[in-house]
Amino acid sequence: MTSRGTPSRFLQSVLHNGVGRYVPQLKRLSVLFCRHGPSSAGVRAFIEEGVVDYAKTNPGTVVYVSPQPGTIPTIVAEYLNGSVREETVTSRTSKEISDLITKLSSQSGLDVIRLRKPFHTDSPSIQGYWQPFTNRPACPGPIRPPALEA
Amino acid sequence: MASRYIVNRGALTLGIHYRTACRTTTFTQIREMKRWMKSYNYIMAKKQKIEGTPPPKPRSQQPNWEYHAEVQAFSSRLHENFSLELLKAAFVNPCYVESEQKRREELTTDFKTTALVLNANMELRSQGSDFLASFLTDWCRASFPSLHGDGVAAVVAHLSGSTVVCHVARNLGVEDLTMSAEYPVPDDVLNATFMAVIGALLESSGAERAAFFLRDFVTTQLIGKDLFDMWTVVNPMGLLMEELAQRNMSAPEPRLIRSAGASTVVPLYFVGLYSDKKLLAQGPGDTVIAAEEEAARVALRQLYGFTENRRPSDFSPMEQQHQPVQSAASS
Repeated sequence: MTSRGTPSRFLQSVLHNGVGRYVPQLKRLSVLFCRHGPSSAGVRAFIEEGVVDYAKTNPGTVVYVSPQPGTIPTIVAEYLNGSVREETVTSRTSKEISDLITKLSSQSGLDVIRLRKPFHTDSPSIQGYWQPFTNRPACPGPIRPPALEA
Repeated sequence: MASRYIVNRGALTLGIHYRTACRTTTFTQIREMKRWMKSYNYIMAKKQKIEGTPPPKPRSQQPNWEYHAEVQAFSSRLHENFSLELLKAAFVNPCYVESEQKRREELTTDFKTTALVLNANMELRSQGSDFLASFLTDWCRASFPSLHGDGVAAVVAHLSGSTVVCHVARNLGVEDLTMSAEYPVPDDVLNATFMAVIGALLESSGAERAAFFLRDFVTTQLIGKDLFDMWTVVNPMGLLMEELAQRNMSAPEPRLIRSAGASTVVPLYFVGLYSDKKLLAQGPGDTVIAAEEEAARVALRQLYGFTENRRPSDFSPMEQQHQPVQSAASS
């Protein structure tokens, strides 16, 4: 598919975040895992090593750790703008999960799709939009072709 | 034992697995096309068509929810020191208290044990909305000193209107914590809850912190907004004449300064407004009258200091605003 056919958006932020103060956008993080499953081993290791530190350094994020028998290990991230992202972490190591959670908590919750430009402004033109009189000296009367004007 | 082994082996070759769940029951798992799946899906689709999609469930009724932790996280996420009792009180709406009371009365006949000890946020609400209105008026007067009184009122009405406040509240996660009788939370309830949150902040951290909170979250919504999108002016030329008369300038003289394509479907006229033989502003339009009106609007924006290229408002953090005074005093 060409890039024009893929969904896209402009660069934006939630509620002009960062203009006044920065609000971390990840509001809730649920870690679902199994107590015995081998595919949840990495998640169990992460819960022993890193989850308390993460919760202490990010007081704005509520972290839920819920063991569910026989479940596929999953990390569910809920953002302030209402979007929810689920990441399956089957057979991942503790380090990989820690990296993933760092990534999730630095995101804004807006769709992760193609950005049309790496910059955005609400007023796209500094000089004003083009019109037939742009860069013309002021002259009375209608515009004529150059030959007649001379 | 031997017969069990044989049965097991035979079952394995056929692809049937017995698994003992507890002493008396066994699950039978068979590897095959799940032929029952089609009719099951069909029935579920039919059921959904008759009943409609299920109503959305509030986050508080879904798994993994602890109210106290959520409220605490809400407070520290916004970098504010809310008093948690006040913040929790701010989220309780009268409609919730009423519906909860009714629900409890239906469940039992013993009213004494089920009595609800919750006070609605009416007082915090009124405090918050009063503070919001007064703060926004002061902020507008300070940021746009030459703006007309009606303009200030229009900007304040836009910023404290339901659309902007609900947008801010939804994107700050107020909706999840709001205790309301209905879900999704109606706009008026959400609006009132946000006012109560402002009231709670005012009570717990004082007016200065609350003012910084409003500046960071409400007045930032003014970025990229045009003045006349918020303020409907029917006769801009009349207003401009009034403003110029107040400033002891002569009345504006509209002159057609440029035109093109008058006989085509896309004519273009530029009208300039002159006062004391000086060009105040020029504006385009597809008729002369529209161009004149646009020019008047451009002139008004310039007079009020509400142009697109104005200097951005000061949104620097509270600590930084206090620092320069100290450093200047020390040096």
